[in-house]
Amino acid sequence: MKKINIKLLFVLLASCFMACDEFLDVNSNPNSPIGDNLPLSAKLPGALVSITNQEVLQLNQIGAFWGGYWGTNNEGINQFFDLKTYNGQNIRSQREGIPVWENGYNNILYFRLIQNEAESTGQLFYAGTSKIMQGMMFLRLVDMYNNIPFDDAAKGSEVINPAYEPGQVVYQKAVSLISEGIEDVKASGTIPSNHGDVLFQGNKSLWAKFGNTLKLRALIRQSEKNETQYVNAEIQKIITEGSGFLMAGELAAVNPGYLNTNGKMNPFWAAYYRDVQGNTTANYQSIRPTIYLLEQYQSKNDPRLERLYVPVEGSYRGVIFGNSEAGNPIFERNATSAFRGPRENSNQATGIFHNWNQSSVILSDFESLFLQAEAVHRGWIAGDVSQLYQQAIARSFDYTKVPEASLSGYLAQSAVALADAQNPLERIIEQKWLALNSISSIEAWNDFRRLGMPNYPATAASGITGRPLRLMYPETERGTNLEQVEAQGSDRMLQDKVWWMP
Amino acid sequence: MKKIILKSKAGSLITLLSLATLLISSHTFAQRIHVNGQVFDSYSRQSLPGATIQVKGSAATSVADADGKFRMYAEIGDILLVRYIGFVEQEIEATEDEQQVSIYLKENLTELSEVQVTAALGFSRSAKELGSSAQIVDADELNQGKTVNPLFGLSSKVAGLRINMYDSKVDPAAQVVLRGNRSLQRSSGIDGRNPNEPIYVVDGVPIPNISRLNPNDIESITVLKGANAAALYGSEGVNGALMITTKKGRKGEGIVRISNTTTFSNVYFLPEAQTTYGQGNNGVYSPTTFESWGPAFDGSSRPFGSPLPDGTQPMLIYAAPARDNRLDLFQTGVNVQNDVSFSGGDDVSTYFLSAQYVTQSGIIPKDQNDRVNLRFNGSRDFKKLKTSYNFNFINNRKDVTPDGPWIGSYRMPANFDYGMIRDWEDLNSPGNPNNYFIPNGSWLRNPYFLIDNIRDQSNQQILNGKIELNYNVAPWMDVLYRVGMYSSSDEIRSFTNKYEAEGTRNTPGSVNDQSIFYRRLNSDLIISLKKDFGDFSNRLLIGQNIRTDYRKTQNVSASNLLYTDIINQSSRQGELAGGSAITEQRSLAVYGEYVAGYKDLLFVTFTGRNDWISTLSRENRSYFYPGVSASFVASDAIPALRQMRKLSYAKLYTSWNKTGNVTLTPYQLNNAYTQSNGFPFGNNIGFLPGLTNPNPNIMPEFVTSYEVGFQMGLFNHRLYLEGAYVYSDADGQISNANISRATGYNAMLVNSGRMTNNIIELTVSGDVIRTMDWNWNLGFNFTHTNNVVRELYGGADFRQNFRQSYAFVGDQFPMLWVSDYQRAPDGRVVVDAETGDPIVAPDNVKLGPMVPPYMLGVTSRLEYKGFSLIAQFDGRMGGWFYSETIPPMYEFGTHPITAAYGREAFVWPNSVIETSPGVYVDNTDILTSGGGKEFWTRQGAVQSNTAAKADFFKLRELNLSYTLPNKLLEGQKLVRSATVGVVATNLFVITHSSNNIGDPEYLYNNTDGYYSFRQVPPMRTVGFTVNASF
Repeated sequence: MKKINIKLLFVLLASCFMACDEFLDVNSNPNSPIGDNLPLSAKLPGALVSITNQEVLQLNQIGAFWGGYWGTNNEGINQFFDLKTYNGQNIRSQREGIPVWENGYNNILYFRLIQNEAESTGQLFYAGTSKIMQGMMFLRLVDMYNNIPFDDAAKGSEVINPAYEPGQVVYQKAVSLISEGIEDVKASGTIPSNHGDVLFQGNKSLWAKFGNTLKLRALIRQSEKNETQYVNAEIQKIITEGSGFLMAGELAAVNPGYLNTNGKMNPFWAAYYRDVQGNTTANYQSIRPTIYLLEQYQSKNDPRLERLYVPVEGSYRGVIFGNSEAGNPIFERNATSAFRGPRENSNQATGIFHNWNQSSVILSDFESLFLQAEAVHRGWIAGDVSQLYQQAIARSFDYTKVPEASLSGYLAQSAVALADAQNPLERIIEQKWLALNSISSIEAWNDFRRLGMPNYPATAASGITGRPLRLMYPETERGTNLEQVEAQGSDRMLQDKVWWMP
Repeated sequence: MKKIILKSKAGSLITLLSLATLLISSHTFAQRIHVNGQVFDSYSRQSLPGATIQVKGSAATSVADADGKFRMYAEIGDILLVRYIGFVEQEIEATEDEQQVSIYLKENLTELSEVQVTAALGFSRSAKELGSSAQIVDADELNQGKTVNPLFGLSSKVAGLRINMYDSKVDPAAQVVLRGNRSLQRSSGIDGRNPNEPIYVVDGVPIPNISRLNPNDIESITVLKGANAAALYGSEGVNGALMITTKKGRKGEGIVRISNTTTFSNVYFLPEAQTTYGQGNNGVYSPTTFESWGPAFDGSSRPFGSPLPDGTQPMLIYAAPARDNRLDLFQTGVNVQNDVSFSGGDDVSTYFLSAQYVTQSGIIPKDQNDRVNLRFNGSRDFKKLKTSYNFNFINNRKDVTPDGPWIGSYRMPANFDYGMIRDWEDLNSPGNPNNYFIPNGSWLRNPYFLIDNIRDQSNQQILNGKIELNYNVAPWMDVLYRVGMYSSSDEIRSFTNKYEAEGTRNTPGSVNDQSIFYRRLNSDLIISLKKDFGDFSNRLLIGQNIRTDYRKTQNVSASNLLYTDIINQSSRQGELAGGSAITEQRSLAVYGEYVAGYKDLLFVTFTGRNDWISTLSRENRSYFYPGVSASFVASDAIPALRQMRKLSYAKLYTSWNKTGNVTLTPYQLNNAYTQSNGFPFGNNIGFLPGLTNPNPNIMPEFVTSYEVGFQMGLFNHRLYLEGAYVYSDADGQISNANISRATGYNAMLVNSGRMTNNIIELTVSGDVIRTMDWNWNLGFNFTHTNNVVRELYGGADFRQNFRQSYAFVGDQFPMLWVSDYQRAPDGRVVVDAETGDPIVAPDNVKLGPMVPPYMLGVTSRLEYKGFSLIAQFDGRMGGWFYSETIPPMYEFGTHPITAAYGREAFVWPNSVIETSPGVYVDNTDILTSGGGKEFWTRQGAVQSNTAAKADFFKLRELNLSYTLPNKLLEGQKLVRSATVGVVATNLFVITHSSNNIGDPEYLYNNTDGYYSFRQVPPMRTVGFTVNASF
């Protein structure tokens, strides 16, 4: 009996092992490609659109509320509650929070994977562009959280507890990374026609200018920190490099070919204006300009006002950020000014809403011009500050579809002209603030944290004093890298500053 | 006369004679005599007081006295039935007057030691051999509540088995967990089973799901608990097994059974709402807001919404009706089950054919679920070859509205009139989207509009069957081959019918058509050998298994349909969306089981299995795991024990197992790139990698478990006791570990994480009353599960499971972790000295486990003559649950607490002020910053306010039935037996005082203790059932 057993077992096992391997080799994914199957030109656009969405939706929204632009009418009283009440704990939470950190590092990873592959295969254009974009995101994350991982970041399972580095160090490393990126892009050969570059269509010079402008933004950010030596050295590098900055007409704007289909429209349009059927979104219904913002436009007879907003019974009516008076009829939806878009403008592009396929701006030419104006004002670079200032306003007018004719009159006003300003810097920032409204709103909050300008009101929500200075480290990080979080010390939103803040 | 001939054919001369005697006796005048006797236990030779003696076919009964003696009248030729609980019934014949008889009853050992359980691979094994615990739920127990889904028929009937109903929609899903959670992983496998679910084996074939089986087809369910018993099933058996045996025909006359069960369901536990204030803002009435922040109800007639197109202004009485208006949304659900079955057999073949039609209408209007179930089980023997086959066809059609109606309703004011808005299609109705009192879209639309226009429809067909061949090579050797197939195809359509209206009142049309096909083939070749040598018995079983799983899903959708009532992707604007996915998984295995027995009282079992699974890399895909168990029948081994009348049976057992488990789905070893964020935009492509860092080196995880237990029969089998202690340790878990997002990834596939379970299970059942007419059996089962998370990846202290559900090292999993107020050491809430508002603590607090550590099931069966009353109670204690239904009730002013302080600022009850660090003084006079919406919305966001203790005790099932006495059915040959009854579920539920949420049993998204606003509130069901056999 034993013999039979063993024989049977042997036959069974043998028959299995022969066919086994082939039978079991069914674990390659028939549904999706893996990284090896895809060219970089198929990966770059995915990463660019992802980082752009974070810019124009998430960061822009935080900036719009904390940068003095947006509030909500009574209907939206419970929306954006955490932003309106500066509720750092909720913002950092995994469930209801705003995952700036999480999305930011995901985006860095997307570009890091491109960079690694590009470097190993010598595709310098992709190596360079992905370095520039990573640099941009690292700078953003420092602006939001201060100390963050850089050297240890985006290494997957190689480093599972990335060490944090001081914000200033990360800033310098990010600037260097952008410099390297510019060099790589410039050193790359001919760009193939199917490059996948949905930002600059393979234009190397624009990439270099974009990189320089990002660096300028990073240097301007530390204007209050007396880092003269470092700043000068970096400015000198930019000058030596020679490509210059983004100039009038040179927007860093991503357009993957938006379609009039659900999920494929311009994301800002689809989130804040109208859906695929042309119906207004909930955000459109409840988000309103602040009274302060409208007053600023009105005090300057700013023609952008009527391009941006719809009047209610002939006048522009705003709200108070933080909704101090829930139920006050003057803050009802219909009693307050909504955004103006093509539907409210005889189907003509206007303000910040041009078309469902408009490009998503990550760095506008007017922001670049304002940055240059400030740099000239500070004596960092040579140039005509007034000309840059006026050019910036002109580009903003152009973007918001203000007729060119009204420009000169506007500029001539003493409330606008740079020459008439007691504090030219304040005037530059004031105009920059008006221009970046709802486009790169996060920069408005950044400028406020740097300079305290313009002095828009803090939230009116009851029981809250102070202003948000940064975000708290997210719960995901506390759950996985707590030692590092705790090593950074105090983690409060209204008290603890980012390194570049005065 | 015909009857007698038939019986004689059957070959029993005795039967013929006794029947003849009976026949004769009923036709002649009988002679009345006295019968005297004494009843003994044949083993111990002790008398059996209380034994009953009944004249067969008559009500004449006597009971043995304290010495086991009896004296009674009978007629010559009467057959006397002698019965005693735990003993085999005996018949004696009354032959002469003043006859003296001694009756020795034999113990009925079948009740425990001779029980056959369906063990691994569908083999029947004697329970006494098993070195691990198994519990059998027979057809009667399973069907006492007449549930449509057999899984719900198991609730609270088996120690260690926890079954939760998702909610009260028609055809609700079930969550099944046996002996606690072992895995942190949430995602389901290719067959749809979640990593903590047991394996389901129907007639020896593992299938992914049994929730659509016809419960009336089930002969019994053997619950093999723990990895031990199911080791031979490999990975999937790691969580235990539910072994389902379906009915077979039996030799003899054909039997036809029909039954009907009709029950009615009603909603009964809505979260309490305030009835003081109506719609408005800041205490001012508004006809166009749904929020209950208006003035107090005053009984006046007030405008509701804006004027209608015809100029009339709808008016509503501004007062809360006596009856909760929200109940108007619900209807009485009707559930009808019709069953018919035919069974029979002869010497070589059996036959069982059944059909079931179930139609259910939900408590939400227009929710409907219909199921057709056909089964054909048959067998035929050809000398040494036995063949059998089972086929099961199921068609389930479901048509429901997703989520919508209830999500809006608990936010509506107390005077909201559902009747007024019902006729939404009428352009002049206040319910028409263009006229509805609030302009909001989404789920705040008119509930009847949502019901009529947003539907999820599915049509599922399941084909499930097996063929089994067993060849008896020699008396000591059998070869069995069994091949099983399970396929399911699901056609799903989800659509929103377009309805054009202004702004957010508009409803865009969309449709998504989906088809999901799944197929499993499973084949086992098993050789079993058995041979006894003297006192030693040996059994060896070796087998080989091949399994393939294949799944294909595809969908086509359009998000912008052009026309109302034309639900088709071709009538759309914009791009067509959709895709498909094919997944395939294969595995091979060889396994063996060796059972050695000594004198039928000591058994040792060794098991071993090697799996090869396609989802792991070539290097890691082969893994072996062993097990050993032993059982000892002490009552047979030590005669002294048996001499004690009190102990009639005792078995001790123990086992140790290490079971391998792979919870991967196919293709997880590589990072797949997909197009997202709108890509492709026409010709423009863009791919992104997945954010779970893949790990090609992933290994199987192992669960080590051991168990010790006992089974005892006491007081002549009047009382049964079973107990088990179980320890399991699941280490190196395959899980998506959360990692620092600064790594770039959100999660990483790892072999990490460890969870242990210490479980105590106790089952007690006994006959409280046992007389001729009365029988009352009471059973308890109790389970205590001490589950502890020992380790998380990368040394992390905690890991989010789902929303407020977390895993914390050192605590039970999952743990409810929520925001709470800052509290003084004595627990009182600290308020801000300036604003008077309670301060929210900076850190969350752990409230408690989200699965109940204590579970109690109680079964009471009371029988009196033909009547039986069965009650099944279910209690679960020690858990917590969280509701996301409650925060909106704070926000929109429908929660009772928002009306408790007159909507004015107030002193937070029982609060303190922190005057200096650690120093607290009573707050008696500082008012809160307000008492309106802003204030209460903030309190609603404090999650401890919307959590509650999940303790409950409910009457889960009640069954009152009456079996027609045979006398009534005499004189006709049509009806063999008939039973009528009343069945009910959830007749009452007692919950913790903090629970204003709902039935704590319900769960959401595979997360225990989480109550979503998508869940429909609890229902209870009452109805009747009729059974007859012919």
